[in-house]
Amino acid sequence: MNFEYMLEILPRFFSVIPVTALIIAVSFIAGLLLSVGVTIIRVKKIPVFNRLMDIYLSFTRSAPILLQLFIFYFGIPVLLQAFGIAVTNVEPIVAAIACLVFYNGAFMSEILRPAYLAIDKGQFEAADSLGYTGWQKFSRITMPQLIPIALPGMTNAMIHLIHDSSLIFAIGVVDIMGLANIIGSETYGLYQVEVFLTVAVIYWVISLIFEQLVKLFDKRRRKVLKFEGYTSSEGAG
Amino acid sequence: MFDISVVFESIVEIIKVVPFTLFMAFLILIFSLILGSFIAWLESKYIPVIHQILIVIKSFIRGTPNVVLLFLIYYSFPFVVAEALSYIGIELNPYSLNPVVVVIVTFSVCYAAFQSEIIKGALHALDKHQVEASQSLGYSQWQTLRKVIIPQVMAEALPDTMNTLLLIIKALSLAFLVTVVDIFAQANLVGAMTFSYLEAFTAAALIYWVLGGAITYATKKVENHLNRGYV
Repeated sequence: MNFEYMLEILPRFFSVIPVTALIIAVSFIAGLLLSVGVTIIRVKKIPVFNRLMDIYLSFTRSAPILLQLFIFYFGIPVLLQAFGIAVTNVEPIVAAIACLVFYNGAFMSEILRPAYLAIDKGQFEAADSLGYTGWQKFSRITMPQLIPIALPGMTNAMIHLIHDSSLIFAIGVVDIMGLANIIGSETYGLYQVEVFLTVAVIYWVISLIFEQLVKLFDKRRRKVLKFEGYTSSEGAG
Repeated sequence: MFDISVVFESIVEIIKVVPFTLFMAFLILIFSLILGSFIAWLESKYIPVIHQILIVIKSFIRGTPNVVLLFLIYYSFPFVVAEALSYIGIELNPYSLNPVVVVIVTFSVCYAAFQSEIIKGALHALDKHQVEASQSLGYSQWQTLRKVIIPQVMAEALPDTMNTLLLIIKALSLAFLVTVVDIFAQANLVGAMTFSYLEAFTAAALIYWVLGGAITYATKKVENHLNRGYV
C-alpha cells in the first residue's frame, strides 16, 4: 500500500467532481419533474397512460442501469434518425443524463406515489366542501404533507443516483471513475488498488454527507409530522 | 437501422448464459444470507470493539458504489489470498485466480451488508414471547432456532430477499468489467460480433425483463405459501 501516492492523486479527482456533480444535479432535478408526471398519471389512473407507466416502471426496475446506459447511448441516434435528424453518434454525457433521468423518473415516482397515498383522503373532501380550487388544494394540503413524508426516500434516491452515476464511465464519460481508469493506466496498472481505494473513499465521504443530511431532515420531518398530527410511526412507514 | 430479426438471433445467443448468471446469483444470495445472518447475530451481541468495526465496514460498503468495490477487490483480493496461502505453504499465482471467484466474493460481501439489515428487521418482527414459550416447553436452542425462529424470519424476510436476488442479477452486469461473462457481457460480445449493439442490448433487456417478472411472480406465490395459516 502506497498512501503517499493516494494523497498525490487525490487533488486530480477534485477537477472531475464538478462533472459528476453536474450530471447528478441535472439528472436529479429532471428526474424529479418526470417522476411528478408519472405519479400524477398513476394516481389519477389516466386510462392508456397508466398501462404504459406499468410497462415503463417494470422495465426500469428489471434492466440493469448499465444496460440502460448502453441502450440510450446506441439508441438515441437510431431514434433521432427515425425522425429524420441525421446524427451518427451522441455525446456520452447527454446519453448518460438522459438515461439517469429516465431511470429516476420511475424510481422516484415509487417514492412519491406512496407518499401521496398516505395523505388522508378526507382532507381533500373537506377542502372541496370549503370551496378550495385545485391549485389551493395542491399548495395548501398536498404539498405541505407530501414533502416531509417523501423526503427520506428522496435523499435515499439521491444516494442511489450518486452510486449509479459511477457507471457512466462505461460509455466514455470522464467522471470520477473514468479518471480513475485513466490514472490507473498511466502507471501501467501498478497502483490500481490505491487508485480505487481513493475513489472508494471519495464516494464514501459523499454518501456520508448525504446520510447526515437525511438525519438532519429526519429531525425536522418528525417535528413537522408531529405538528401535522401524524404519529412518528405513521410518518416512518 | 434497427433490425428485429437480429434481436431474436441475439436472444438465442444470450439465453445460453442465463443459467450461469442465475447460478452465480443464487450462490451470491446464499453466501450473503449466511454472512448477513452472521453479521446480524454478531451485532445483536454488542461486543464492544467488534460492534464499532462492523458499523464502519457496513457504512463503507453501503457508501461506495458496487463498481468501485468490484475493482478494489479485483485488484487486491488475489494478492491477499496468495499471501495468506503462502503462510500455510501453498503457492498460488495471484494472476491465475478466476475472476468469477472475485465477482462472487465481492457481491457476497456487498449484499451481506444489506442482507444483515433485512434479517435484523425480520428478527425484530418476531414475537419474543415465542422464544420464552419454547424454552418453557423444554426446546433446545437448536430446536427453537429451527422450529420457531427460522420459519417465521424466513417468511418475514422473503420479499426483501427476493428483491435482493433481483438486485444481484442486475449487479452482475458489472461483472463484464472484470471479464466474467453474464447476460450483459454476452450481449456486449454478440453486439461486437454483428456490429449491431442496439439489437443485442435490446435482446438483453427483454431477457432481464422476463427474469424480473418471473422472480416477482414466484415471490408472490411463495409468500402466499409461507403465510398460509397466519392470515
